[in-house]
Amino acid sequence: MLIATATSPWNGFLTGAVLGVITLVLLWVANRRLGISTGLEDVCALVSRRPYFQREEVSGSGRWRLVFFVGLVLGGVLSKATSPGGYDTYWTLGMFDQVIGWGVAAKCAWMVGGGLLIGFGTRLAGGCTSGHGIFGNANLEIASLVSTLSFMVAGIVTTNVIYRLVAGGGS
Amino acid sequence: MMHAVVLVLGVAFGYVLSRGGATDYDYIQRMFLFESPQLYFIIGGAVAVVMPGLVLLRKLGKTITGQPLVIKPKPRHLGNVFGGVLFGVGWSVTGMCPGPVLVNIGEGKLYAWPALLGALAGAYLLGVLYPHLVGPLRLPPLKVGPGNG
Repeated sequence: MLIATATSPWNGFLTGAVLGVITLVLLWVANRRLGISTGLEDVCALVSRRPYFQREEVSGSGRWRLVFFVGLVLGGVLSKATSPGGYDTYWTLGMFDQVIGWGVAAKCAWMVGGGLLIGFGTRLAGGCTSGHGIFGNANLEIASLVSTLSFMVAGIVTTNVIYRLVAGGGS
Repeated sequence: MMHAVVLVLGVAFGYVLSRGGATDYDYIQRMFLFESPQLYFIIGGAVAVVMPGLVLLRKLGKTITGQPLVIKPKPRHLGNVFGGVLFGVGWSVTGMCPGPVLVNIGEGKLYAWPALLGALAGAYLLGVLYPHLVGPLRLPPLKVGPGNG
């Protein structure tokens, strides 16, 4: 059961296939290569004149990623609003609450720290689960294969350290 | 017009991520704990569709409006490894990758806001440090675009 939607998730392979079709339509219709983390730089470029955020990959892209960002948020709203229970805002965090059980302030600090790693890491790697994990791997790009291997291994190690070593034990 | 298409695709992408469990903290942790294959199936399913799709689109060579298709491969450098590792830790810590951070905000998960704040700060920090990392990590040199002359 999903926390967000209080429903059973769709079949995983089917979910991926639909995401793949959307990725292909984005390329065929809008001529855009799927890449979500670059959009973080589009946001930075709104407030910063630093050369890094004005480089051509970002500034020459017509800011389409900002529009895609808005779409992602609305997609989440749509999913939650059409699920049993309807739209709601909440702080509950599944296993984290059960096993670690921190309050809201500590949870916020945890999320800011993790977010920093997401923002810095994806931009250093040149992509995330979408641009490297889906598009780059499907395009057989070495940078994407290397990046994907790196973030999968790091995620596996981190979660196992958190839930099996530090917090878990036998749980 | 193109913005409308991108918006609709974004909504669809977010909705599907949500319904598949890719925005769910527990599914992310259970993927990394090898307790649930769901997320591996999602990524695998996407790659399995995009891979042959790209072969077809390349053969076609044009978008729907007849523009030449642009597929720019991502550069290889040491940042792929170092950045990938940092991102992997962040993905595990938050239970979110960049797309799902935004979808989670839409789903009403309030803790996704501090994650977004952190992610924006992290991307900004990389922009600040980039000139110092170009040499040691062999990153591509900056080419400033039309926005800055």
